[in-house]
Amino acid sequence: MKNKKAVWFSAFTNVVPSEYEAWMEGMEAQGWHLNKIGQWSSIRMVFQRSEPHKYRYVYDMQPFPKKDYLETYKQFGWELVGQMASAFIWRKEYTSERPEAFTDTESLEKRGRRTAGAASVSMVLFWIVTIVVAAVLAALWGKMPPEDRMQLIILDIFFGVLAVLMSIVVRTIYKNRKK
Amino acid sequence: MPESQERGALTEAVYYILLSLFEPMHGYGIMQYVAELSRGRVVLGPGTLYGAISTLLEKKWIESVPEGRDSRKKEYRITSLGRDIVSEEIARLKELVENGKMITGRNRA
Repeated sequence: MKNKKAVWFSAFTNVVPSEYEAWMEGMEAQGWHLNKIGQWSSIRMVFQRSEPHKYRYVYDMQPFPKKDYLETYKQFGWELVGQMASAFIWRKEYTSERPEAFTDTESLEKRGRRTAGAASVSMVLFWIVTIVVAAVLAALWGKMPPEDRMQLIILDIFFGVLAVLMSIVVRTIYKNRKK
Repeated sequence: MPESQERGALTEAVYYILLSLFEPMHGYGIMQYVAELSRGRVVLGPGTLYGAISTLLEKKWIESVPEGRDSRKKEYRITSLGRDIVSEEIARLKELVENGKMITGRNRA
């Protein structure tokens, strides 16, 4: 029996924080345990075979955490599983009532806004690159050798697709910001 | 402009955190105190508490206590600006309750 399971691009198939949490909780319930999360876990996340766990996972986007951020969660008995860029992943084992880190709608919605905000940074970057490459193409269209032109067109389509995908991601997160 | 005028009301979490910080307290202590005060109705999670404390520190309604007794656990307390905010909020809530009682009481009679 396999003792390891690697899941690719989990952060891109679960873009809404509450869905990502539920997915990780589901894996733990099936006996797939996360030892830790690292910078690249959004691309490739590795689970280990273990006893099923009843965990509450929390995804908290904190681009500028203050000194007492980690301490506050730890005082409440939460375990830091790791960090992917600015996203902190916390968990807490429980038996009866599923614990919450965000206990009112205001703070839950703020978490959604922070997540959408962080995603929109890459969205804006992709759009800028797409527009700049398109502008270069338009300006130098006649002066460029055809093979260079083709390369730039492919590059522009690539970034254009990423920009559109990220826009959909941002929109999805924003629409679900109160969940 | 204080938040109570800007938005019309404090959130329950903010109101209760301000009340608990009339005595210096650390994060977990605030949660326990608020739970006790509200008889278990308002139980703050760490995400909500951290967010509220950060905002209140920025607005200078609360401040960090320098050199806490336990240096690992940071303590906070309310500022005089924070006390003014609480007084304003109590006046606002009192108006709501008095008007509510007046109208519902009249309808019943």
